[in-house]
Parts: sequence; C-alpha cells; structure tokens
Amino acid sequence: MPVLVKDQQIVEDPWQLLETIPDYVPSNAIVPVEQLKNSNANAAWVDGDIEIEEYGDKLSTLDLVAVHFPMFADGRGLSLGALLRKRYGFKGELRAFGQVQPDLTPFMSRCGFDAFVLENELAAQTAIQCMSSMSDFYQGSVIQPEPPYRRKRAR
Amino acid sequence: MYQYDDFDRNFLKERVAQYRDQTDRFLAGEIPDDVFQQLRLRNGLYIQRLAPMLRIAIPYGTLNATQLRKLASISRDYDKGYGHLSTRQNMQLNWPELAEVPDILFELADVDMHAIQTSGSCVRNVTTDQFAGVAADEQVDARPYAELLRQWSTYHPEFEWLPRKFKIALNGAESDRAAIAVHDIGIQLQVDAENRTTFNVYVGGGLGRTPAIGALIRENLAEKHLLTYVEAILRVYNRYGRRDNKYKARIKILVKAMTPKVFGEKVDAEWDLIKDNPQELTQQEIDRINGFFQPPEYRRVPDGSASLASQRLEHPSFNRWVQQNVSEHKQPHYAIVTLSTKATGIPPGDVTDVQMDAVANWAERFGYGEIRISHDQNFVLPDVPQYQLFELFELARAEGLASANQGLMTDVICCPGGDYCSLANAKSIPVAEEILQRFDDYDYLHDLGPLDLNISGCMNACGHHHVGHIGILGVDKRGDEFYQISLGGNATNDASLGKIIGPSFSRNEVVGVIERLLDAYVDNRTNGETFLSCYRRVGIDPFKDRVYVQEPERQSHASAG
Repeated sequence: MPVLVKDQQIVEDPWQLLETIPDYVPSNAIVPVEQLKNSNANAAWVDGDIEIEEYGDKLSTLDLVAVHFPMFADGRGLSLGALLRKRYGFKGELRAFGQVQPDLTPFMSRCGFDAFVLENELAAQTAIQCMSSMSDFYQGSVIQPEPPYRRKRAR
Repeated sequence: MYQYDDFDRNFLKERVAQYRDQTDRFLAGEIPDDVFQQLRLRNGLYIQRLAPMLRIAIPYGTLNATQLRKLASISRDYDKGYGHLSTRQNMQLNWPELAEVPDILFELADVDMHAIQTSGSCVRNVTTDQFAGVAADEQVDARPYAELLRQWSTYHPEFEWLPRKFKIALNGAESDRAAIAVHDIGIQLQVDAENRTTFNVYVGGGLGRTPAIGALIRENLAEKHLLTYVEAILRVYNRYGRRDNKYKARIKILVKAMTPKVFGEKVDAEWDLIKDNPQELTQQEIDRINGFFQPPEYRRVPDGSASLASQRLEHPSFNRWVQQNVSEHKQPHYAIVTLSTKATGIPPGDVTDVQMDAVANWAERFGYGEIRISHDQNFVLPDVPQYQLFELFELARAEGLASANQGLMTDVICCPGGDYCSLANAKSIPVAEEILQRFDDYDYLHDLGPLDLNISGCMNACGHHHVGHIGILGVDKRGDEFYQISLGGNATNDASLGKIIGPSFSRNEVVGVIERLLDAYVDNRTNGETFLSCYRRVGIDPFKDRVYVQEPERQSHASAG
C-alpha cells in the first residue's frame, strides 16, 4: 500500500492520480499534463524529462504538480523540481512518485519536493528519518538558497 | 593545504552515520541489491571479482603526513597491508569487508578524509596538477579552485544522480599535468593582463569506449562565476544526457550530438538565468579558500647546488634519479621529488603500509608534512631542500621507492585489470610486470626519452591507454586475453588520441611487439626527437611495418576488436 509523506509526516492522500482522464474528472484528480487543458483539474503529473520551458508557466499556477521518477537513480526530476520552484515560482505541493527510494528523498526535498509517495509504511518512516539525517550542506538549494559562505562561514 | 572547520567535520560525521545506517538496512534486508549498489558506490565501495574495493578520496591528490599514516594503519587493520594509488589521485583498498566499511569511514573522518563520490554517477574527485603550488612553470595555483569545486559538488541536491560519472580536472601551469583535455570538464587557469585569475573551460573530453578531446566552450571566465558556470553545464547534462544506454551516457556523447557550439549556447542560455544567484562566489570566500594554500614559510636552507653536483658525479644511480625524478621548484634551493611506485615485481601504484609510513615520515622530516599523489600513480614530496636530496634518495631506495623512471617508459600507468576488477577483459598488471622486467636498463630507457606507456584491462580505459604514446588495451577474443596496441596518444598540452596499429596480440607477444616499436622509433628519429614527435612526423606506417611485416609466419588475428 503506497504511503504519502507530506512535510515530513505520514498523511492521508486527499488526491487521486489518474493515468488518463475519465468522462467525469473529480475535483481532487491529478491528471496527465497533456490533458490539463481538457479538464478543470488543478493538479497535474509529469515525467521528469518534460521541457519545463514549455509547461512551466502553466504548471506554476496549479495546486499540485506530481513528478514521475521512472527509476530511482534518474536525476532528471530533480532538475525539473528545482527549476519549477526557482525559475517558475511554483508554490503548491510538489510531489515525487514512481520509484521513490527513501534515501533519495533528502535530495528531492532540497530540490523543492515536499510530498513523496513511498512504497509502504516502513519506507515512509525511513524517508522521514533520511530527510533529517544531515543538518547542513555545502551549496545552496531550493530550501536554503544561501550557501554556507553567505551565512555561517562569512562571519 | 585546506583545513577542515566545524562545518566540514560535522558534515562528514553525519555522512558517515548516514552510510552506516544504509549498510545496516542493507544487511537487514531492507534495501534491495540494486539500490544499495548505487548508495555504496556514492561512498566509493565497489564489489569486485574477489572482494569489495573501497576507493578513498584524496582531493586533488593532496594529503598530509597524519592522513597518510591513517591510510597505512587502515590498510594494515582492515586490508592486507597495502593500497593502490589510482589515476584519479585516490587510494584504493582491495580487500575490505563490506560490513567493516562504515568503521573505516569513521576512522577516515577522524583525519578529515572520506570516500564520498569516488564512484557512482556523480561528480567525482576533482583532480589537478600534482605539482600545483610549487611548480616553476605555474601561473595560478589550481588547488583553491579544485577545493571550491569539491565543496560545491559534494552531495549536491540536483547533480548526485547524473546519467553517468562526471570528472573535472584543473590545470594552472604551462604544461598540462592534469590531462584536462580528456575530462568531462577541463579547466585551464590563467592570469589576465590585469592580474586577475580567469578560466578557459573545455567540455566533453574523455576516454572509455568513445574517446574524445574536450572542446573549448568558454574563454576568460571570471573567478566568481566558476560555480554557476559549472552548474549550468551540469544542468544541461542532467536534463539532456542519455540515460537509455550507459555507453552513450557521458557528456562527450551529448556534446558531440549537439555539436560543441550548440552545447555551449545552451549552457550560456542557462547560465544567463543563474549567474547572479547566491551561488556566485563572494570575494571573501575566494580569499578564504586561497588563504589555505599560501606557501609555507620556507626555512632558510643551505645552497645545496655544489654538494649536489659532487654527489651526482660520485653516485651514478643518484644522478639518474635526480635527472629523472626531481623537478624544478618555485623556491630557490628546494626541489620537487617524485617517488616512483613503478619498481620491478610490484604492480604499478601499489604501496605497502610500511612505505606509506615511511613517506609520511619523510614528508615531515624533509618538507612541511605534505604529500601529493600524481595521476600517474606516484608519490610526490613537494618541498625537499636540495642539500637533503641525497639523504632522501638513500632512504627511498631502501624502501623501493627510488626507481629513476618518472616520465620514462617504465613509469607505466596501469589499471588493476583482470586480477581484481570484474569489468576487465584481460589482465593488465602482468603485462606491466613483463615490460618492467624486459626494459630495466636505465641507459636504454633514458636514451628513449619521455615515453608514456599506458595499459587498460578493458575499454573503460582506467589505465588511460588512449592517451599513452604507446597504449595497450586488453580485449577478449572468444574467451582469450588479447592486447590491442595504439600509438600517438598524448594526455598533456596538444592532447591527442592514439591510433590502433592493427590486429591484436596474445600476451606472450606483447613485449616483443613493444620492442619492435621502440626499434622503429630509434631507427626513424632525428636528433633529439621524442617518441611522440617522431611518430607524429613519420606516421604509423614505419611502426606498423616493423611489427607486422617482419614476421609473415605470425598468425594473423584479423578479427581483432
């Protein structure tokens, strides 16, 4: 049973992800990005390799964007997430789904992801631990844009 | 050299604890093999043919005596009492236990060392000239910039899961001792007319199956833009590099497919959007990091030139060693010493715990406690007073570290090959060994002059065979080990890739072939011409003819790959 971690906590998932659009689109549907314009949905899912330049403006107005990770070591979704947050100013929920391995969530979270669909309860708990295993980093990120040399090391 | 502060130490402590937790979860069956593989690789742990192999980072090949002693004690306590110096200036242990690796990492962290990102599809250990900071032909010391890149690329949120491994090298001297042309990113540092440090950035060089020379995509980049420009390159690569075929996943394939010009434009477009972000280097940070690499307060030492001259006359073996292994230092009366690991009977790059302890002691006794590892797998002592060279030579000779062959043919670059590595098609160490045995006459080697002979056990090219003046590549032919030979490669300024001379050879033929190639060189060279320039002038045919035509009865291996 997949388990959703949002803001470092296990929560019920109020959304439902649709592979294709049915006749009636429920208001909590996450629809494929190509079908956004055919629905009044406010949430879409994308593959990690989409051209953000093409979709970024539209995506940034949504309540939720879910990024599909086809393999756990595929880092394209990380660039996509970071760009969506930084370049397109997306403020909604940024969700990772697909092959989301707990040890990858610290990277995802620093690229702006705040929600993760994990395989099961154990994986979800592990992910929460993983995300707090390191306290600071050498470079800026979406959640801490200033690198240490503009903060602690500058003093 | 760089000194860790609380930030670095805390980072490392947390990273070690994180890896220990990953290992525990793997051993408890909570992490599948293929996932753990990627996690352990990001801490330098491979599973090899016979045992795991742990690759310990030696950032840009610089370490201090305390750190080297720690490597000695680790190789004693957790391994079989020796380590292997790699072509990325790292040290590899061949026999650690998987379950003990977290303990090794814990011990390493004690002396500010780690194995972070020494493997896996991420930014690897950044390398530079092993003589950086002391070389007489240096314009800019590349180490501070290598350190800035090391920090920036460590556990980067966006670039730890790239299509493939990513190697960056920097060079700040006139001669390129860092092989920047065959790196994913190569950076040449220089000083402009206003005395500012700037960078020329090359991209898409590499070895492996599809060797390529890097293309220049940015000239005179200002210091403060170093990290944002590299970020732009990595973002383009992370987004567009191929992930469907691991043999086509390196950045060189992308650069070639797009053309360097279009790739450069794409990078520039990305860079325009990020160059003023907070990652831009502050002058304060540039100064802070440069501060760690100021030259030591050199002790005033006696002018050793007269005694050196007489010692050289008196001891021919010392004379040869000075000629070959001692390089010019920026500072008068000092010298740079290369302690060669290439001695007959020892796999190139292998060093024992006893040798490591000895080198650490010499670094303190003759210098300022610093040691370098060169990409051609030797130790370097950067600050030896000239008047103490003879003393050091005698000590090094007793430890088997005084082969007078730096830059000569027997200073072989060689990967671990089929004896250890599970990727290898063929053994490489025994080939190196046979070459070292056959050609052990110093006068002959010295007469041949500078000659890079590089051996790889497979096309992944860890032994840099493409850029050897003579390159040897192990290939598998229906289950048998064969060796393909190439000529004319070069890793330094004016880099080039070797050309295959023809069908491959069985192992017992290799040494004879090398001998015939050398004969062809000696017969064709003009006065003072090196092997490489002779080859470039006369072309491949005279060499080919000598190897293939002279033995018509030799079985042809026309199907060689």
